[in-house]
Amino acid sequence: MKGLFKSKPRTPPELVRLTREHLINVDLNTSISDAKREEKLAELGKLIRDLKIILYGNSESEPIPDACAQLTQEFFKGNTLRLLIVCLPKLNLEARKDATQIVANLQRQQVQSRLIASEYLESNKDLMDILIGGYDNMDIALHYGSMLRECIRHQSIARYVLESQHMNKFFDYIQLPNFDIASDAFATFKELLTRHKSTVADFLTKNYDWFFAAYNTKLLESDNYITIRQASKLLGDILLDRSNSSIMLRYVSTLDNLMILMNLLRKSSKNIQIEAFHVFKLFVANENRPPEIENILIKNRSKLLRLFSDLKLDKDDEQFQTDKGQVIKVIEEME
Amino acid sequence: MRKREGGRRENRSWRSVVKMIFSVKEEDYKLTKEIGKGASATVYKAIYLPLEKVVAVKCLDLERCNSNLEDIQREAQTMSLIDHPNLISAYCSFVVKHYLWVVMPFMTEGSCSHLMQIAYTEGFEEPIICSILKETLKALVYLHGEGHIHLDVKAGNILLDNSGTVKLGDFGVSAFMFDHGDRQRSRNSFVGTPCWMAPEILNRVNGYDFKADIWSFGITALELAHGHAPFSKEPLMKVLMRTLENAPPGLDYDRDKRFSKSFKHMVTSCLVKDPTKRPTAQKLLKHSFFKGEKHPEITVKKLLAGLVDRIQDDDDSQLSLRRMASIELEALSKNEYDQGISVWNFNVEDLNNHSSLVIHEDQEGHDESIEEDRNLKNWQ
Repeated sequence: MKGLFKSKPRTPPELVRLTREHLINVDLNTSISDAKREEKLAELGKLIRDLKIILYGNSESEPIPDACAQLTQEFFKGNTLRLLIVCLPKLNLEARKDATQIVANLQRQQVQSRLIASEYLESNKDLMDILIGGYDNMDIALHYGSMLRECIRHQSIARYVLESQHMNKFFDYIQLPNFDIASDAFATFKELLTRHKSTVADFLTKNYDWFFAAYNTKLLESDNYITIRQASKLLGDILLDRSNSSIMLRYVSTLDNLMILMNLLRKSSKNIQIEAFHVFKLFVANENRPPEIENILIKNRSKLLRLFSDLKLDKDDEQFQTDKGQVIKVIEEME
Repeated sequence: MRKREGGRRENRSWRSVVKMIFSVKEEDYKLTKEIGKGASATVYKAIYLPLEKVVAVKCLDLERCNSNLEDIQREAQTMSLIDHPNLISAYCSFVVKHYLWVVMPFMTEGSCSHLMQIAYTEGFEEPIICSILKETLKALVYLHGEGHIHLDVKAGNILLDNSGTVKLGDFGVSAFMFDHGDRQRSRNSFVGTPCWMAPEILNRVNGYDFKADIWSFGITALELAHGHAPFSKEPLMKVLMRTLENAPPGLDYDRDKRFSKSFKHMVTSCLVKDPTKRPTAQKLLKHSFFKGEKHPEITVKKLLAGLVDRIQDDDDSQLSLRRMASIELEALSKNEYDQGISVWNFNVEDLNNHSSLVIHEDQEGHDESIEEDRNLKNWQ
């Protein structure tokens, strides 16, 4: 019987409009009393939760495509994304998490087979500046970070971030002492440098000097175990990617780079040694090794061979064994 | 923190203060006692010196985590974004040499499964079970609402402190249903602890969802009622087979006469093999069994008071916290389950090999620890 007296549920566009009104209120009204404010925030939290449920469903129901499309259309038509991002620091934790999931989901919603999120972000690229700035604020870093990673799924947005002044800041964010935030920043950094192949190759070619200088000194020569381990792994991934082959050739022809990698091979951490090996092997495999690199390899031949004979994986890895065998063979045969 | 109901807001502001207070500097923490040890992590009781506050610090050896750094990062994030009075959250986490330190609240009494082991081998009284389960269920309602499946609900992960607070811990294996912006239809990886695992996780035909936690919750209810989980004394192979082939376990033995009808009904509703026929956490919370339950402060404190009489030889009360070790062992075990199962795929010969390992362990007779640990040893 109870159901009969329920008011008609709001349509998705109505819900979006109501959320927008509340967000504007939260954004503007700084002078209202705390109690009133709490109440408004609770209402807003509820609306945001309802939006999330439309997009994701809940434990009892699946999302309905038509409702999702209506919601998406209204959301971007009214600039709600900007409001939501700007107001995020004022929301409570649960609403922040819901908002983050909403933003993630909206990036994939197609309306009449168009990704309107991508079109919206194209003309609102400055939102990326706000999101990246989140890494400076512990309270919102994880939420903004996660939104940011969703936005750079769009190639043009990733390009914007890569070419912005922000790229340089990531080298510091990655080394923040709080593990959860630092690893979030690293996840974003990695996504930027691996997702859109040709964009990445283009960026690395144009920014080779400063980027790898920073990569070497700030990440590979860091004091932080996790930074070194992640950075050496990512370096391998970048250099081994076919689309980055000219960048790889440039990297493995430089003596300074070789020395940094050889130092990593000597670390007490086996995981770092293994990651470093996957980059080191490229210096050896390079058929046009510059004489200074050849020289260093010959000088350290016996030490290198000893190191490799001890370097073993916990479980059998055929590829690793083959690579190691080849590296050993080339080093042995050097004149 | 004291208030249980209606204390959410109060709790939140308390937490956000705490979150700011804890530093991420090694020298601010003094590790005082090892309270649990697993293959890749050790948990310490510690003092946060600037506040002289007792905390638990989990030191995870990253060097032992070969390729799954991303899982660890996800877990750290989950734990730092959790905010519910019945869930263990992380105050902060940071890297010290090749260890990850995760700073968490210290739960003085350890886990329910440990308490049963040292003093309540036949299980708890119904009012106590009811309190513990209700608090745990609230945690699940929250987690499911957030899109998380816990995947390792069991008495060993339900922790108590001396004020009567009940918290569900360990997100080592939790899966995120809303990952990557899409609702995942279902997950399909093999995680958890065998005795508590839902049939749909074991048979891997259709994947699983939130309902997998409801099954484990039902098994946990039986565990609290009997002092151990069904089949927990059996070798791994039999646990897997029985979960898949037998009728679901329940409270239907003679010794179960002491339990109320509504308790029995609640358990039966969780332990239905078809996950779609199990109630959601939210719906289960409305079950008559949970109506009019006493506050956990009262029941749990009564339980803890009873401990003193029951434990004869308690020269080292900290020993009780050794139970936390299994938390670590299980976090470690995730990988091994993945590996083991993808290789085995229920190849009976392999399973037999593993169950013979168990027997071997027993013959050696050096295993004084609990069943769960025994199960885990098979994988090492």
